[in-house]
Amino acid sequence: MTTSDLLRVDGLTTQIQVGGTWYDAVREVSFSVSGGETLALVGESGCGKSLTALSVMGLLAPKVGRVGAGSIVVDGTDMRAATESQREAMRGDRLAMIFQEPMTSLNPVLTIGFQIAEALRRHRGLSKAAAREKAIALLERVRVPSAAERIDAYPHQFSGGMRQRVMIAMALACSPRVLIADEPTTALDVTIQAQVLALLAEIQRREGLAVLLITHNLGVVASVADRVMVMYGGDVVESAPVRAFFARPTHPYAEGLLQAMPRVDRVQELAAIPGTVPTLSEMPKGCRFQGRCPLAEERCRERPPLVPLTGAPDHAVRCWVRAA
Amino acid sequence: MIAPLLEVEDLSKTFTIRRGFPVAKTSLVRALDRVSFHVQRGEALGIVGESGCGKSTTARVALRLTEADGGTVRFDGQDVLAAPASAMRRLRRRMQIVFQDPASSLDPRQRIGEALGEPLRVHGLARGAELTERVGALLAEVGLPATAAARFPHEFSGGQRQRIGIARALALGPDLIFADEPVSALDVSVQAQILRLLDSLRQARNLAFVFISHDLGVVRHFCQRVSVMYLGRVVETGPVGPLFEEPLHPYTQLLKASSPVPDPERPVAMAFQEGEPPSPLNPPGGCHFHPRCPRAFDRCRAEAPILREAAPGRAVACHLYDAGFAGSP
Repeated sequence: MTTSDLLRVDGLTTQIQVGGTWYDAVREVSFSVSGGETLALVGESGCGKSLTALSVMGLLAPKVGRVGAGSIVVDGTDMRAATESQREAMRGDRLAMIFQEPMTSLNPVLTIGFQIAEALRRHRGLSKAAAREKAIALLERVRVPSAAERIDAYPHQFSGGMRQRVMIAMALACSPRVLIADEPTTALDVTIQAQVLALLAEIQRREGLAVLLITHNLGVVASVADRVMVMYGGDVVESAPVRAFFARPTHPYAEGLLQAMPRVDRVQELAAIPGTVPTLSEMPKGCRFQGRCPLAEERCRERPPLVPLTGAPDHAVRCWVRAA
Repeated sequence: MIAPLLEVEDLSKTFTIRRGFPVAKTSLVRALDRVSFHVQRGEALGIVGESGCGKSTTARVALRLTEADGGTVRFDGQDVLAAPASAMRRLRRRMQIVFQDPASSLDPRQRIGEALGEPLRVHGLARGAELTERVGALLAEVGLPATAAARFPHEFSGGQRQRIGIARALALGPDLIFADEPVSALDVSVQAQILRLLDSLRQARNLAFVFISHDLGVVRHFCQRVSVMYLGRVVETGPVGPLFEEPLHPYTQLLKASSPVPDPERPVAMAFQEGEPPSPLNPPGGCHFHPRCPRAFDRCRAEAPILREAAPGRAVACHLYDAGFAGSP
């Protein structure tokens, strides 16, 4: 671990319970994110990207999900060894998270100002007046117009884009070191998405934040991430610096995703990936993509390791056929 | 030119909204402000725009699920908005709609076979063994096994449910389908499957589509022509290739620059442009886009531009392109 790694996850396995049986929904995922860096976790519904984020936050619902193995270190603190109250002290302080739909994470009956100030009063022990002043400054920093007046407004009085800015202000309240952004712009119109992405990038640069970006959108990944990890069925199937990934997508699933994405900037024949993601109880042994993979062979019944490509030590792929 | 299958002219719709407490205030939303477009047989017309631009209202009003305030809709020569109930019933067989979330338009307690057979029965088109056969053929056409007929909606994935929604729209053999964000809720790999299915149906049945979407990439891929809407007005229209290669209206240019593409060399334009789409409740005067437009000038604030031909097959509503304007590009 280099000293600049603000978030380090090693061998994380997260299980979820379905019908009384525990299944591995995230399998041996490892990564690190340093200050100023954005790592994108990308994949489709059910690939385990959000579960990975919730595992890092320590927010898995107890009877439904649990971390089975691995270590999670945030800014030097071992999250798995920490007590719940220690974890609570981290969340909203050094480790913050923003979600896709701000309306469901904001309390509709409390003012925006109260909700931003809450973290400051709780984690920093600020007085009511001081917290309010800081909350106004935060709203200004995320460029909410007329912050001093809008601080007393309620969430429903804000547009979707403005609500997401409020969420970002809340996340930034205690100057976190690590920010987990779970589909932060998915619910927004594209012109607003561009504004929110610009805001996040600017704040990250200024504060040296480590950002873990969870998204399904490879276009967003190409625009803002430094590195990317593609997940499928709970496995990391490819991991690479962003330029290397888009220049040479190597796992058949990653390649298929790119070919399935219609683009505004060019005409391309769409290649659909056949079939659907198997449910957790129906996951095949070995490579989890084998049932939908055009290259599947006999040896894919055994799980391939995540190995670097020849000549590209930081570009790794979990595929018997392509890694050769 | 062959007469279009669907011809919409100056379609207008204003909603009255009462809200506020304790004294509710009445305000007007001009959801559609003289919207015009046409669709040929077998052609897919895309309608793109952001939330609140009126793209879904366009479909609802053209199908008379909501009554229009003004304008005309002609379908295969017939005046849709003036059609009496009996004629409307026949017209509905030929104009169908597919929604974003088929789960919410399928009855959770109705088997798929019944859901697909119902329109055929209601319109007296098939019964008994023939009905079963027609349902089986519909399922096969959208890539589902015949056994799906005996199952319930919750047993299907999102992509499969959208296939069911499409099969239901096909049941009466329509000439035109309004598809309202039909792939927006789906994962990319499944979205591609549905787009391919829709395209093969368009070709096999010579089906026309009004394809409503916020995703420029999807529209460029699926449609032949596109109309761009902003706050109730069509601001630009043209064939997808030229329009997306070289958008004319500053709003279309902004939409394209904001749409992410999977290429790190072409990141989303994040040049900090302030301003959100204004509320449709209180749109700015003149050109609705002027407060966000980098090239706005005095006339844009005072006068709404009219949609005018800018090149063969292309039209734009923007004062920058008015003939005789000194700064016209």
